[in-house]
Amino acid sequence: MKTSFLTWRSSAPARFLAVGALLALTSLPFNVTAQQQLSRRYTAGKDVRIELKNISGTITVESWNKNEIRLTATIESKKAQVLPKQTDQSLVVDVMSDNRGRGDIGYINFKLQVPVNSSIDLETMSGNINVANIRSGLVRAHVSTEGDIILSNIVASKVVAQNVIGDIFFDGEFSSGGNYEFKSNKGNITIRIPANSDFHFVASSPARRIALNDFWNNNLKSHDGRKYEGYVGDGRSSVSIINYSGQITFMRR
Amino acid sequence: MNCETCQELIHDLIDGSITQRDEFTLNTHLKDCLDCDSVRQDLAAIVGFCHTQRGQYEAPPNEQALWLRIRNVIEAELPSAVTAKPQRSFFDRLMGRSWELSLPQLAASTVAIVLLVSLVTVVGLRRWGGYGVAPAPAQVEASNVNDRIWQRRQVIDYWNQRIELNKARWSPEMRQTFERNMQVIDQAVANSLDELKRNPHDEISEQMLNESLNDKLALLKEFSDL
Repeated sequence: MKTSFLTWRSSAPARFLAVGALLALTSLPFNVTAQQQLSRRYTAGKDVRIELKNISGTITVESWNKNEIRLTATIESKKAQVLPKQTDQSLVVDVMSDNRGRGDIGYINFKLQVPVNSSIDLETMSGNINVANIRSGLVRAHVSTEGDIILSNIVASKVVAQNVIGDIFFDGEFSSGGNYEFKSNKGNITIRIPANSDFHFVASSPARRIALNDFWNNNLKSHDGRKYEGYVGDGRSSVSIINYSGQITFMRR
Repeated sequence: MNCETCQELIHDLIDGSITQRDEFTLNTHLKDCLDCDSVRQDLAAIVGFCHTQRGQYEAPPNEQALWLRIRNVIEAELPSAVTAKPQRSFFDRLMGRSWELSLPQLAASTVAIVLLVSLVTVVGLRRWGGYGVAPAPAQVEASNVNDRIWQRRQVIDYWNQRIELNKARWSPEMRQTFERNMQVIDQAVANSLDELKRNPHDEISEQMLNESLNDKLALLKEFSDL
């Protein structure tokens, strides 16, 4: 038995398997430790402004019941640096400027927990943006290339969501006098708002893919099915939607 | 070093006439000051662009007519200049100032003037080239759209050149992302142009075209920073 065990251990396939297993085991911890983690907390007033300009990676922002900001970042490359700057009323993270001249720095995933009244201004060249439970003056999410944008439970007087490739989902309320802009080149734009929303809107879709559903009324003006404009309710807020090839859908909350 | 001194030295840096000591001080300042660094990058890109494009511009159509018009304007303004009050206006002071330009600056200025004159001439000829024959409104509209597209394309070409210089530094993933997204925007531009060919009065297509060209420009500018 002992001899056979020794014989088995010394066979070529077994050695190959053993080396493979060893490599697999050792590579896992190395991959994990190659990432950097950053975690910071900042004291903040209730009306703080968050500005984040990323290059690549997911950005998640959600409110919490504290007057402080918690920023966590998962940084893929050791070359990358993240240098948040705090002033009286704002926290600014500009990955683009902080890493100019460093070449490809891989992705950086951000998670921000902020006071509920924070103004949010987010930009990334690629990657998804998720913002949830914010009531403030501004929510802006701009993806220069591809990435989905999900804005959930948002009440803000100005909302801007724009990407080139990817879906945009807005779930929230239009404030009286507010301004809302959604734009995508290739992706679906879905607007989920309360049935009693009042707004004036212009929705353009050269692909003729606009579904107004419960918000349709006879006063709306259609231009050849490619553009709809008009008032829903008393039109107290202004909504502009452009989608080149995807679907524009209005849904009742 | 303050930003004003820094920006003066940037010219010397680009001309290659800067001293070692000044270069060291300047580089220290540029590391800390993003605004000045951005000025340096823009200036270097413009001078570089002018160098690479030297002699490749099209001559303005009907050059002689253009010079005659310029001469007429100058001559028409001469008498008012003679009777002007002795107080020196801002314009006088500006014109009276002596300018010392290095060779690259002079070349860049010349190319910029040639570009500007070409642009004005082409736009002028397109807009008022009928010499008394009033063009049909449809023609005017189409020509306005074409002018705007042409102008926008000039700017896009400039940023494309900058992108080409930077592309080598990008990772393959970034290059693919750029190409993929640019393709989507170009498709939107092409669709709008096709629609405008079929129906030159189509406001929606014109609006879509403007938006797409703006998107393209924005994407080019953003990637040129990388």
